[in-house]
Amino acid sequence: MKAESRTAVALTVLVTLALPLSAHHSGAAEFDANKKIDLNGIVTKVEWTNPHAHFYMDVTDASGKVTNWNLELASPNVLVRNGWSRHSLKEGDKVNVTGSRAKDNSNLGTAAVITLPDGRRLTFLAADNEK
Amino acid sequence: MKNKQRLWVFSAAATLAAAFSFLAQSQTPAPAGNAQAKGVGLYRNQAAPAAGVAPKLADGTPDLSGVWLGGGGSDADIANPASLKPGDKVLMLPWAEELVSKRLSKQDPEANCLPAGIPRGSPYPWRIVQTPTHYFILFEGNIHSYRQIFMNAKHPDDPDPTWYGHSVGRWEGNTLVVDTVGFNDKFWFDYKGHPHTEKLHTVERYTRTDLGHMSIEVTIDDPGAYKQPFTTVGRATLMPGAELLEYICQENNQDLEKLEGPARGPGGR
Repeated sequence: MKAESRTAVALTVLVTLALPLSAHHSGAAEFDANKKIDLNGIVTKVEWTNPHAHFYMDVTDASGKVTNWNLELASPNVLVRNGWSRHSLKEGDKVNVTGSRAKDNSNLGTAAVITLPDGRRLTFLAADNEK
Repeated sequence: MKNKQRLWVFSAAATLAAAFSFLAQSQTPAPAGNAQAKGVGLYRNQAAPAAGVAPKLADGTPDLSGVWLGGGGSDADIANPASLKPGDKVLMLPWAEELVSKRLSKQDPEANCLPAGIPRGSPYPWRIVQTPTHYFILFEGNIHSYRQIFMNAKHPDDPDPTWYGHSVGRWEGNTLVVDTVGFNDKFWFDYKGHPHTEKLHTVERYTRTDLGHMSIEVTIDDPGAYKQPFTTVGRATLMPGAELLEYICQENNQDLEKLEGPARGPGGR
């Protein structure tokens, strides 16, 4: 294989992995990898559903205004095979979430990494160090 | 392209297909076929299959039963040479090219929780069940559905067009050959929106090459949409001990109304 071909394949891999994507739609059509989010807040609801699990969190800004965000995860069948359970995240949990925002700038995003105060780290796809 | 290099491309494509573009982050899928390794596709806790020969049923028929992951063509772009038989090309008729250029991501039947058809894969496992008269393919997702393969049977003269068509199966040595006609024209071959017509005729060839792997070749012949037939090549990996889980796509499909822009691969290409 020529060097440029190998580079092209590698770039494809990189581009393809730029967003935590869905199994059933083009993630790039919904989320913008360049719109990074970094949120601190309290989980208000968890939806253990298909085609994606979602959780919602209240984020309070400096002025005291509370915004409810909708964060998307992979589907439960993927999550449970990768160490998550439906109890991994629950209402009232204090979390930090990093990820990407929806292209339409609504309060919707993908949750790439979720960090809890006790150090547990969950991702869009897996429980990295679930206790 | 030399064989070793071709293998590298195939491996990259297979990894991509298996991982299905999910966030890889720190996880790198373990190499399939390594009995010491863990992880199959994006399922990092899944034990990889052990080495061994392909099993057979008591009557000598190859035993394909089990939970499998992968196979089929590239679900991102069926025309990707890495998932086509070497030398094959996907050449659309002009109307099909024009349609692809106009299709939108939100129109993808898969995004609408409708069947992916043949041979579009998913990152979810599937199971083959063999009975003397019928083989069944049970899909965990993208929709929680199934295919029926009527063994040693004939197609009806004028089958009603359906998403999965009418499939008849036969054995050629150790290869299960599944011949399907009677498709509707609704599913897309991939995220890019490659179309087909009711003239579509597919021939799938399933060969369990060893205990943990199955090669899958699918010849796609649709003179209504393509200038010539082409064949996709893929490989499925056994997920030892795995069971299918429920996946009801229609339950909370919030994404559809948010999808913007033209039909494209999961990563945006």
